[in-house]
Amino acid sequence: MIPVTVVAGYLGSGKTTLINQFLKETESPIAVLVNDFGELNIDAELIDNQDSLTLSLTNGCVCCKLSDDIGVSLESLKGKDINAVIIEASGISLPIKIANYGLSWPGFSLKGILAVADGQSIGTLLEDKFVGYTVKGQIEQADAVLLNRSYGLSLEALNELNKNIFLEEEVSNYGDLLSAKYFAKHFIEENLKEHATFQSSIFTSNKPIKREDIKKYILLNPNIQRAKGWVCEENGVCSLLQMTPSECNFSPSDFKSQTRVVFIYTGKLSPPEF
Amino acid sequence: MEHLPKMITVYIAKSIITMNASMPRAEAVAVRDGKILETGTLESLQPWLSRHDHKIDEQFKDSFIVPGLIDPHLHPSMAAVLLPTYFITAMEWKMPWGTTPATRSAVEYDERLKEALSKPTHGELFITWGHHNLWHGPISRSRLNSIDSKTPIVVWNRSFHEVCMNDAALELLEIKEADVENATQIDFEKGRFYEIGLGYAIQKLNPYILAPEVFKEGLLKLKEVVHFGGQTTIADMAVGLFDFETELNTQAALYENEDNPFRVELIAHSTVMQKGNSIEQAEELIAKLPERNSHRLNFRKRVKLFTDGAFFSQVAQLMEPGYIDGHHGEWLSTPEQFEENVRVFWNKGYAIHVHCTGDLGLELAVDTLEKMQDEKPRFNHGFTIEHFGLSTPEQVFRLSRLGANISANAYYVHELSDIYSNDSVGYERASSMARIGTSFREGITTTLHSDFTMAPAQPLMSMWVAVNRINEKGNVMCEEERITPQQGLEAITINAARVLGLDHEIGSIRAGKKADFTVLQENPLEIDPIKIKDIDIKATVFEGKVFNLKSQ
Repeated sequence: MIPVTVVAGYLGSGKTTLINQFLKETESPIAVLVNDFGELNIDAELIDNQDSLTLSLTNGCVCCKLSDDIGVSLESLKGKDINAVIIEASGISLPIKIANYGLSWPGFSLKGILAVADGQSIGTLLEDKFVGYTVKGQIEQADAVLLNRSYGLSLEALNELNKNIFLEEEVSNYGDLLSAKYFAKHFIEENLKEHATFQSSIFTSNKPIKREDIKKYILLNPNIQRAKGWVCEENGVCSLLQMTPSECNFSPSDFKSQTRVVFIYTGKLSPPEF
Repeated sequence: MEHLPKMITVYIAKSIITMNASMPRAEAVAVRDGKILETGTLESLQPWLSRHDHKIDEQFKDSFIVPGLIDPHLHPSMAAVLLPTYFITAMEWKMPWGTTPATRSAVEYDERLKEALSKPTHGELFITWGHHNLWHGPISRSRLNSIDSKTPIVVWNRSFHEVCMNDAALELLEIKEADVENATQIDFEKGRFYEIGLGYAIQKLNPYILAPEVFKEGLLKLKEVVHFGGQTTIADMAVGLFDFETELNTQAALYENEDNPFRVELIAHSTVMQKGNSIEQAEELIAKLPERNSHRLNFRKRVKLFTDGAFFSQVAQLMEPGYIDGHHGEWLSTPEQFEENVRVFWNKGYAIHVHCTGDLGLELAVDTLEKMQDEKPRFNHGFTIEHFGLSTPEQVFRLSRLGANISANAYYVHELSDIYSNDSVGYERASSMARIGTSFREGITTTLHSDFTMAPAQPLMSMWVAVNRINEKGNVMCEEERITPQQGLEAITINAARVLGLDHEIGSIRAGKKADFTVLQENPLEIDPIKIKDIDIKATVFEGKVFNLKSQ
């Protein structure tokens, strides 16, 4: 399984700079899928690493193009000497949708979502009548956010959307950031490695499930250390569940397909019966 | 010897509805060399007829002649993929080769499938389209295996967003459990592939559905469909959805001949032309496309751009209060990129066709047009809103002042207004989707399209919906937005021609225009409006040549 990392963020937030910096630092063969819509062919030129592959993508729905650029690109990577894939999402993409490729395209796994934001424009963008919602989703859905040009900004508003915000100056090595050292998912994996007692199980269901029932299940099983995933309710509304030993939050999400929650626990855990 | 002009043919009809306001009705029309010499009566045509050889053609004497119908927005390549599949659908689909009856239960569905498979006509892989869970019950690999375990079967959902396969199909396409076991949107046990899983399946299916001979078969079927709908002009509103060269070359090979009863206006898809280039380079490529024009197939100075996602998939971008369930639509490009793309084409003098489905998508188009008019004012510029799903009256007012055209998919009202009232946006907005009455009242050049395969490629059906606004439940939705039959017929003739920039050549019946006619059994302006969609189309005339239709 080849790990997939999604780099999201609005136009001009610094996605390409970050990926390029990383490609300069790494010696590992990495494939980068670049979204090719307007601005982004320029990015494709910027991204330059001789050992790595760069593939261009276009937007659109598979049902009206009969081709799925991301899928086709991933498929073409199979059998190649590639350690990881980075997908640079287009400026208008909601990262969860792209992350779904890591979960659903045969042969690949999802490593995590990194969002990039430009501190000087993020405030205006979050209020924009056309893209405010999209930009908010990009920040909320990410496992971690890299905030560029943040001098003089208060982080409070952004912290309401995402707790894992890293300032440009805190990052000494882009590879560390991109290779998901700070990612929630990575944190889970580290825990799994270091504490053999931790186990994980994935619960999925196509039936509608109440948030309250998930909460109840977590309360009844105090050995659950962490939970993360999406919960889809009767009315078709799905929310993002993030549970740590200190809190259990649901936030709005555009995720649609099914309930899918990862539980990290110690000892034994009887599967939920919803 | 001097070149003698060809013989004049005079068609007489019960009435000729010219759509030329200066002479709205006629009884006879004289045609020579594919063009109209004059309309009027046999008596008023005498100055021509007394001086030149002519014949009176009476084959339409009991019928009504209207200008050749125009569908200014459909997708031949989408149609070419869908039409070769076997239809088993919950709604009735009228096709030139027969009507697909409504199939409304799981038992009936399985019977229809068995019956289709018992015929030896299908190829190596049998693909059926139209399955809908609500009507036909959940589909699965085992259910398909029990119907036929030997023939590879693919069931393509009505929504296009899911396929299901039996064992034989999985084997033929070499899809193995071990390869897909971790994929969350592939249910191998049930043989179901959806969303991203669908992308995986489509990739395996493409050698079959896009095989040259299948694509060709699909385009030939579309040719029948276009004729069947009484159309003499259609527009391919985004050449290159799948593959630009294949689409253009196959259409040219099949449609550029004497037996083809229609012309195709070709509109370039800016994103496709841009791939790997800047928007300025894309414009240079598009500017050269008319070099490839032929008699029936023509590129002009037109381009297709997009703002928001598809109306059918509920990813149109909405202004407040948005969707009832709180989800949001999608953009197809950032507003900044959209504006930059518009600017490049606007400044070069293009007519820009913008796909807009939701009112926020429309807001972006209107704001951008306003900005362009501030920067570089243009008149009669042909900026056209395509689809026109949700809108506000204020936006229509602005569009009118800014000189835009509207090309609406009225069929939304018929198929979606009920379900969107209950489950998507509520009654007020759902009932006023395709706000065509307001558009006419504001004096906007307004046309109707099918976006086939989104709606039937039958302009009389589009007219019927726009005039009656009756949804699939039989309820009238927003009678204030209904238009008159006269306006409805304008929409699918002269207004469609205006929106395509061809109103000097087609769209009405008057001296000097091309002799494109549609021959109807009833008068669409006088018949009970509820029957407009059922009017029998007897024939079409394309540039003076008659193409008869079997009685429908």
